[in-house]
Amino acid sequence: MIRVDSITIKQFRGIRDLTLDFKGKNFAICGSNGTGKSGVVDALEFALTGNVSRLSGEGRGDISLKQHGPHVDKRNDPDKARVTVKVAIPSQSKTITIERTLKSPASVHVTPHDQAALEVLRQLETHPEIVLSRRELIRYVLATPGKRAEEVQALLHLDQVEKVRACLQKIANTCEKQSTPLVAAATHARDNLLRALEISELITEKVISAANIQRAILGLPILVGMTETTSLKDGMATPGPSKPQRIPKAQALTDIQAAHDAVTEIVSSPIGARVAEVMADLTALADDPIVAASMKRETFYATGMDFMEASACPFCDTFWDLGELKKHVQAKIDHLEEVSRKRKAAETKMAPLVTALRKVKTSTDMLVRYGMLATPPVDMQTARDYSAICEAAVERLTTFLPVVETITVLRNIPTVPRPVFDAIGALEKAVAVLPEPTKQDAAREWLTVAQERLEVWREAMRKQKAAKAQAQQARKVFEIYTATSDSVLEGIYSDVEKDFAALYRCVNRNDEGRFEARLLPSMGKLGFDVDFYGRGFFPPGAYHSEGHQDAMGVCLYLALMNYLHGTQFTFAVLDDVLMSVDAGHRREVCALLKKEFPNTQFIMTTHDPVWLRHMRTEGLIGGRSAVHFRSWSVDEGPIRWDERDVWTEIDDDLKKNDVRAAAALLRHYLEYASTELCHRLRAPVEFRGDAQYQLGELLPSAAMHMRKLYARAKEAANSWNQREVIDQIAARESAFDILAKTTNAEQWQVNVAVHFNSWDNLCKEDFEPVVKAFRNFLDGFTCSDCNEYLRVSPDRETPESVRCECGRTSINLRKKGI
Amino acid sequence: MTSSPRAERKPDVPAQIFEKFLEDLEEVSVPVELVARLRKALIEEKSFTERALKMAIFSEEPLP
Repeated sequence: MIRVDSITIKQFRGIRDLTLDFKGKNFAICGSNGTGKSGVVDALEFALTGNVSRLSGEGRGDISLKQHGPHVDKRNDPDKARVTVKVAIPSQSKTITIERTLKSPASVHVTPHDQAALEVLRQLETHPEIVLSRRELIRYVLATPGKRAEEVQALLHLDQVEKVRACLQKIANTCEKQSTPLVAAATHARDNLLRALEISELITEKVISAANIQRAILGLPILVGMTETTSLKDGMATPGPSKPQRIPKAQALTDIQAAHDAVTEIVSSPIGARVAEVMADLTALADDPIVAASMKRETFYATGMDFMEASACPFCDTFWDLGELKKHVQAKIDHLEEVSRKRKAAETKMAPLVTALRKVKTSTDMLVRYGMLATPPVDMQTARDYSAICEAAVERLTTFLPVVETITVLRNIPTVPRPVFDAIGALEKAVAVLPEPTKQDAAREWLTVAQERLEVWREAMRKQKAAKAQAQQARKVFEIYTATSDSVLEGIYSDVEKDFAALYRCVNRNDEGRFEARLLPSMGKLGFDVDFYGRGFFPPGAYHSEGHQDAMGVCLYLALMNYLHGTQFTFAVLDDVLMSVDAGHRREVCALLKKEFPNTQFIMTTHDPVWLRHMRTEGLIGGRSAVHFRSWSVDEGPIRWDERDVWTEIDDDLKKNDVRAAAALLRHYLEYASTELCHRLRAPVEFRGDAQYQLGELLPSAAMHMRKLYARAKEAANSWNQREVIDQIAARESAFDILAKTTNAEQWQVNVAVHFNSWDNLCKEDFEPVVKAFRNFLDGFTCSDCNEYLRVSPDRETPESVRCECGRTSINLRKKGI
Repeated sequence: MTSSPRAERKPDVPAQIFEKFLEDLEEVSVPVELVARLRKALIEEKSFTERALKMAIFSEEPLP
């Protein structure tokens, strides 16, 4: 994607005004805690994504980017807080400038302003993972499987994948649920038809046979087959308009019996027992206020998710980050998973009750029609009312919520009002006394009712078939989606797993050369087990040390980024991510980053100067690709170890006659510089286990070793018979001697002034020569061209040369024949 | 070589999954119009709501 050439930060977080020149290369920022390293990381993230994850997201409380992003003295002037980065886009062979201010973090000023560059920026904005802090790293390694899955899914942007899966599942479930009443209606239609046909099975031959018996009575031609449009009463004369509709006596008596049976079933023991069981379950749910409220919330959240299409909350119109809002609500829905399970179990138990109630409704509705046809009409109002009660009960049981109302309805189910039985009995009596129809009339009635019910059954079956086809289609789409996404994700995790293990082995090849790992996706969770010295697979936190866990975090992050961006993984910020890794393994991490990610620019922060040196000696960063913050103040921001700044600052102190401040700074800087010199020159220093070396131990050692190196260089030149080189080295040696002696002459003053804090005995005029002497002395270790300290190469084994970063200084140390 | 070779990738895992899903869907007996509608919703319009997906599957609201 990109490489960052430089960054300029103004009035942002703890930084007043800072420019760092990365030159598109790996770069390290070193400094003690609180010196402003993370401010640079935040500024990079802000410039590239418009956000600072440290100031947003979970657990941030009332901290916000807009309010707390500007420097504390500019908190009311966010326009002054701005970050500018120069970014190279290798794929487009161009360099762009990106500038943002905290007044309007989402607005970005890009120069040149072209679509291709904006597209790169848009991609960057959706990939905040380019910045990795230790806090985030641990979330990959030590998180619970569910949380880890969330983190990895967020990194891979799988929230959309999961959202589609959830929607497709809901559509499939809803379609199946919607087909349930249609199946019930078709079943009732079938039962009614069978009763009319007086057969027990709906088989074509039996239907035709039963119809043909009646048709024969009427002298109608027999039916030889059936199609979807066949009428059982085909050819039968239609009754004239004046002829009143009669009750088909035989059919009516059968239907009355069926209704009686349905109502009797409602008051039966099995239904009573089922009602009691479901009521107990629902009462337990209702008694738990959290569960009861959760069920309502689940529906509420799910509805809200469907309406979330703009960046405003669909309920309160507050503007949110859409992704964050969805994540927030989805987390609530996931939390209600257990509630959903309980609801589903209760609905399954209620299903037979719903079927029985539907049967009562359809059968009593038929009796109501017979009652109206009777002469005189039979009052079936109680049956009509009871049918309405059953319909309302079905609606309530299928709606489910609120649970308390469902319980009330359930409680009344096994009770059928006596007048309902009375009405059925009255109708039965009325029908029983009807005169028996003639054989022909009975046949006509039989065919008429059978045909009516056949048509009702056909319509019910058509609807059921259509709903079933839709449900099957939705289910098929969902299943294919699930199988495909699982398969793709398994492939991704398998690739990441292999890459992660290979990277980790690279860092720990000495003790875990056979290391393996397993990423195990399952039901929205992501298990992560690692091999522990061949003793089995365990979670990373089970047996591995904290340092190993840090290394695992980095390796897993790199493997995920490698998968996600491939060759486009060109930039990452590693914010103090290896603080628990020991020196040996850090060296391996340096080698890993250099060897395996040669096209990725890493910006790294550390509080440990030793780690910084490792980065240099392993070649991960160049000699000038680092900044070392020595302190920080609220007025100045980070103050770096910069030669020019240090000497200017000392001069400024002396101009103010503040010898105390000048001496303290000189001593502090000499400690830093002499540590660096001893390291670079490989100067021997008496070992201290606590690594607390004094200036008096370091600087003399660096000076003596420099002289030895010159002596060794002259011997080497002599062995090669290089007289001219010997003269050049002798000249350098002589100049160095003079500088060293000057400082030696002043050594007691330095000690008194700086080390022994007798500065008050010195005036400005006494201290100025001390400063000059040490400034010149340090120049003796420096290349006049690149202004970098000289170093011995290689940094281990037999020294071969003394070199500088630009290559202008290169003094051979190897004798001829060796 | 310690880890996998770096590949040319577009950092859009959801798009990879949606494309593969549509490919797999084309291989089974679902109407081609359904696949086209889903492609429009998932790939072109990036519309992931239940309503959009329901319309893509059925072309109209399913039966009540």
